[in-house]
Amino acid sequence: MNSTNPILKVSHLRKSFGSTQVLKDISFDLNAGEVLSIIGPSGSGKSTLLRCITQLETIGQGFVSVDGKEMILSNTGNSAKYAASSVLREIRLSTGLVFQNFNLFPHLTVLQNITLAPVRVLNMERTVARNLGLELLSQMGLEDKAKAYPCELSGGQQQRVSIARALALNPKILFFDEPTSALDPELTGEILKVIKKLAEKKMTMVIVTHEMAFARDVADKVLFMDQGVVVEQGTPSFVFGESKNERLQAFLARFSG
Amino acid sequence: MSELSSLLPILFEGFRTTLAIFGLTLLFSIPLGLLVAILKMSRFKVVRYPVTFYISVMRGTPLLLQIVAIYFGSYYLSEYSGFSISFDRFPAVIAAFSINYAAYFAEIFRGGIQSIPKGQYEAAYMLGLTKSQTFFRIILPQVVKRVLPASANEVITLVKDTSLAQVIAVTELFALAKKQQAAYASIFPLFVAGLFYYVANLLLSTLFAYAERKLNYYR
Repeated sequence: MNSTNPILKVSHLRKSFGSTQVLKDISFDLNAGEVLSIIGPSGSGKSTLLRCITQLETIGQGFVSVDGKEMILSNTGNSAKYAASSVLREIRLSTGLVFQNFNLFPHLTVLQNITLAPVRVLNMERTVARNLGLELLSQMGLEDKAKAYPCELSGGQQQRVSIARALALNPKILFFDEPTSALDPELTGEILKVIKKLAEKKMTMVIVTHEMAFARDVADKVLFMDQGVVVEQGTPSFVFGESKNERLQAFLARFSG
Repeated sequence: MSELSSLLPILFEGFRTTLAIFGLTLLFSIPLGLLVAILKMSRFKVVRYPVTFYISVMRGTPLLLQIVAIYFGSYYLSEYSGFSISFDRFPAVIAAFSINYAAYFAEIFRGGIQSIPKGQYEAAYMLGLTKSQTFFRIILPQVVKRVLPASANEVITLVKDTSLAQVIAVTELFALAKKQQAAYASIFPLFVAGLFYYVANLLLSTLFAYAERKLNYYR
């Protein structure tokens, strides 16, 4: 049923910073409940792609639709015409983003970080939001940290809080922008475990990552980007096995060493 | 000692005026300073340039001159224009102090606001917070912590700057102490006045140190 109607659809997306084209004609789509891993060398445009879809950057050309809502109405000349701000806001609320550097609010407790948006944005009742927050924290194995401040937590714990914060708005798609890049190797595992658990619950996710083994294991679909283009895309077994693409092979060779 | 007992009530009277200048200036200059800081960061040159000019004049000329300019300037302006915009002495002092201190506070606040990482705005944006929610719930509380030490400096300077009000014959603490100096033919009243300023600032420093400790619960 969903195969004809993907929850995320990106077509012919282009983006430039000044005269440098960082995204050149990106197209892909993703069905609900699937996990997409985006891999590629630094500077290939992975993060920019994520930031375009989550509206942190403006798109130059192309179309994006999330859960049937069109973000871009039309493309005229060299700019994309965005939908009404109310639509964009709806789209934004249906997409969560987990940042590389967590970006927790340092002056709020862990629980306040999670309940702020449900209370202030979704007008959820305080006690309901509180219970939701505590429930999410226990899913993250952090039930005892509700009253702690972010600075009192390890990097891995902070990242789990930021995942809980994103989940509190019950997003349709959860995006991860290199969620383990700021973490020590021993803390990386705990985040990957959390993401895997979400995948088992059929959370739709898009993950930009440098963890190749993880990208292969967790994903239903893998996108390999290089210099602003999608060089190869397909199932993990295709991208990590059968594909004969030279750039992909050269990239993967650097990771297997 | 009978000297002191007749001197103290007079100086306390002046100190009340000093406190009034101090309190009212803070009351007006802090919100005004926040507004000026925000305007100074505007995307629009028509907003940014006049604000930059205002700050440079306020910081670049003596407060003493600004008090005189506002008091006499407004007097002559209403004399010749026919509009009644002249200030009494005390309101003129409050106006001059407020716009002067707002300029300094604005620069402190701007520094504080701009030191907040971009990621805080992005996280708030992704969570659907409005711009004003983002500013008042996420950015401003963190700015307060960052600007506290620099603001303490300004506040303490303000206590002493209030003595400039005597230039248009507002009888604050120091003006009265000077009068008593002449009456007693001694500089003793001036030293007592100095003690008033010192004790007031000691209290303020303690208060700021306490506030800093209170905000130390996060980094």
